[in-house]
Amino acid sequence: MYALIISLFILPVAVSVLVLILPKNLSRILVIASAAILSVISFYLLVSIEEPFHFGVSHYMNEVVSVADILLLLYFGSVAIRKKSWLVGLLTVLQFGALLYLLKIIPEEYQAQFTVDKLSVFMFLLINVISGIISIFSLQYIDGEDCSAFRKKYFLSILFWFIAVMNIIVSSDNMECFFLFFELTTLASFLFIGFRKDEISGKNALTALWMNQIGGLAILGAIFFIIHNGYGTATFSNLLAHSSVPGILLPLALLCVAALVKGAQMPFSKWLLGAMVAPTPVSALLHSSTMVKIAPFIILRLSPALKGTPVASVVIAMTGFVFVAAAIGALSQDNFKRILAHSTIALLALMIMMAAVGTPVTIIAALTLVFFHGLSKCMLFLNAGILERIFHFKQTSDMDKLAETGPFTSLVISIGFMSLLLPPFGAFMGKWFGIESLGVLAINQKMLGAFVIVAIACGGAILSLLYFKVLGLLIARTGDHDGVKFEKTKPLYSATISILLGLIILSVLSYPFLMSHYFVPVASQTLSLPIEVTIYGWKLHVGAMALPVVPLLIAFLLLPITIITATFIRFKNVDRVKEYACGEKTNYSFSSFYFATDRATPYFSVIGILFFITLIVVSIL
Amino acid sequence: MKDILIPVLLILLAPAIGGLVYGFERIVKARMQRRTGPPLLQPFYDFLKLADKRKMIVHSTHAFLGIMHFVSLWFALAVLLLGGDLILVIFLHLLSTSLLILAGYSTRSIFSHLGANRTAISILCYEPVLILIAVSAFMLTGSFDTSSIFNYGASLLFKMPLAFVALLMVLPIKLKKSPFDIAEGHQEITGGVELEFSGIFYEAIYIAKWLDCVFCYTLAYLFGANDPLLGMGLVLFVFLFINGLDNSSARVNYKQMLKFSLVVALPIAFINLLITILFLQL
Repeated sequence: MYALIISLFILPVAVSVLVLILPKNLSRILVIASAAILSVISFYLLVSIEEPFHFGVSHYMNEVVSVADILLLLYFGSVAIRKKSWLVGLLTVLQFGALLYLLKIIPEEYQAQFTVDKLSVFMFLLINVISGIISIFSLQYIDGEDCSAFRKKYFLSILFWFIAVMNIIVSSDNMECFFLFFELTTLASFLFIGFRKDEISGKNALTALWMNQIGGLAILGAIFFIIHNGYGTATFSNLLAHSSVPGILLPLALLCVAALVKGAQMPFSKWLLGAMVAPTPVSALLHSSTMVKIAPFIILRLSPALKGTPVASVVIAMTGFVFVAAAIGALSQDNFKRILAHSTIALLALMIMMAAVGTPVTIIAALTLVFFHGLSKCMLFLNAGILERIFHFKQTSDMDKLAETGPFTSLVISIGFMSLLLPPFGAFMGKWFGIESLGVLAINQKMLGAFVIVAIACGGAILSLLYFKVLGLLIARTGDHDGVKFEKTKPLYSATISILLGLIILSVLSYPFLMSHYFVPVASQTLSLPIEVTIYGWKLHVGAMALPVVPLLIAFLLLPITIITATFIRFKNVDRVKEYACGEKTNYSFSSFYFATDRATPYFSVIGILFFITLIVVSIL
Repeated sequence: MKDILIPVLLILLAPAIGGLVYGFERIVKARMQRRTGPPLLQPFYDFLKLADKRKMIVHSTHAFLGIMHFVSLWFALAVLLLGGDLILVIFLHLLSTSLLILAGYSTRSIFSHLGANRTAISILCYEPVLILIAVSAFMLTGSFDTSSIFNYGASLLFKMPLAFVALLMVLPIKLKKSPFDIAEGHQEITGGVELEFSGIFYEAIYIAKWLDCVFCYTLAYLFGANDPLLGMGLVLFVFLFINGLDNSSARVNYKQMLKFSLVVALPIAFINLLITILFLQL
């Protein structure tokens, strides 16, 4: 077990070094092989880990972590000087001071450095499978990038190094270690966003850097208060053990701040939107599928301690607001990747909200959302890459001929959007579970529950408006071309997309099984509560909630089959006519509707800042 | 056995019931305008006439999506009548509407596009209100299942009259009745999404409209569910209200509709939810 977990940390690092040295063909084989191995290992861990598995690494690691922390901050300092950014500089100095002080007061002995429980393994599977698929996709994508051969290798190298960082971050129990790897993901973001080396990339990379540094600073603050208030060592398990001690709210709130920053909640949404200038596989990996999932991960980890506290209430109210605000913001966008980024922020808000509510069912809802959102968004982003590379589209308004020129891509994107929106797909499940279980919440915290339900109902409707807008462009075609011939893209592209599509369909079909064997055990271990799963009548009962399996499965047959059949079906013996246009012969150019919602963005930011202030204030009171 | 028989019969006969309702509606509307109006069975005569027309489509994707709109709407109605989860029913209805919207977008017809745009916006107008009403009902009955509303001791109408008011405000949007018939707007966009369907393919859209009638009146019936007489009375009232309104009001534009729904109907539903959880909950 120990060896397997360590191999999840070491193997990606080794690959990341090797791709720099090896020739192109060999490194291709290496990338594909190691992607497969990592997925298999994480899958094996999923079935084999029952109890939380604690282990420490040798004492030298503490020194290594401290030295790495200092080196990292020195690097950030050099970035601040090079780019003349006083904000980065100030935050780096603050972090440096805090770190040095902490190193002085941190007690020597740690009981466990790492904890691998079901939640970690849940994340392992998501991280390794998705990162594996994306790294295979990037082999092809980065080939077409306009940069030197070394930078192409360098790109793959950071990608694998990032996988290692993610694997460590979800299993580290020690917060000093957690801080280091949190900052390393920030570094990965910074390097990737600035990868294209133009002016706008540099600017957005700096924004991402300083915003995420605030999150890092919040973690340092949390460590400080844990040690200062005398709760013992700064580990997650220790924090959860002290969850009922008064005064523990401040470190919890600071960790929530770190999560909310990483999860790009307003006003920090700017960094995620700016991150869309990075190469598309990066957007898929860091900025939608894995790295930003650290946000719900932290909240899930803390949920037993957070549940019912005023901090949780503020987080719930705030994410409810962000869910609507991000959806409204998306309505004014035309760039495909920016639309995806906005909807990522909205859905992250939903996940964080579910995790912060902390009842068994909402935890399951959060896990469902994390899982299915990871798969669907990854597929959508990879398709954005294909659109960019093969079809040369970046704006959604250009896509109105895609159903004719690229029927496969258009079909896959349609399914991707539907999986975020409609029953029976996973993201719908999360939303539906959310509404149902927040009904229960309202009994305890009545006003909050009512507001949040309004937020989910409105945000959900706005998001559906948004997705229909894009879907509508994808499906439009004329009656002139009746044949459907799937376009030929590159083999690596179609392979990765097909794998993802298969995974989505498989996991939706096996949702009742996934529910009882995958999400429920994770949720039950996270909360240390047994959750009962029974099948009674036509329904799968999970805790207090009933999942109507039969209608959902029928809906599953109905919807995808409809979409796929609609693409292929051709009615025989039916006459074709032109569209009705009042007898006019002019060509109409179609566009979708846009709402000028940009004006609201500053107000949203202000409200977001107010929420952050409230979060800290309630934790001190 | 009897419990399941009535819903199944209702589900199977839903298109016929919807057709009769539609026929009756045309008579009532005509009488309001001092006309005689068509016979009660006119929708069925239209149905037979349409089946005989020459088959013409723009393209197969479009025609097929129209048919699936009907199928999925029937499915949503079936889940509702069988006492399923109300939130799920609302989402399944969204699914069926989504197929209609996609059908609208799938052609390069300007009116079809406009209709699809407007249908999408009307989802934003009625869906949040319906969800809030469903959650309020949950607060009272303790379950999202429609069947639990039937088993609940009192009529929802007296427990949450504001929810009924909010429902009255959004039903014309859902049924595409004036002043909120912007998605259809015959004088403006010549029927919107419906326009490009014809003959036997239009039939699917046509019957889907009847099913939508049944769907909406079932929602109204739920407010008097434990007293069938009250339930029928409510349905009749909603029927007369909607058609009277349809006859007596002029069409608004989509911005006015959005504003009305988000500023008037949604807050009413929200106040109802607050009252329910603060004062009425057990």
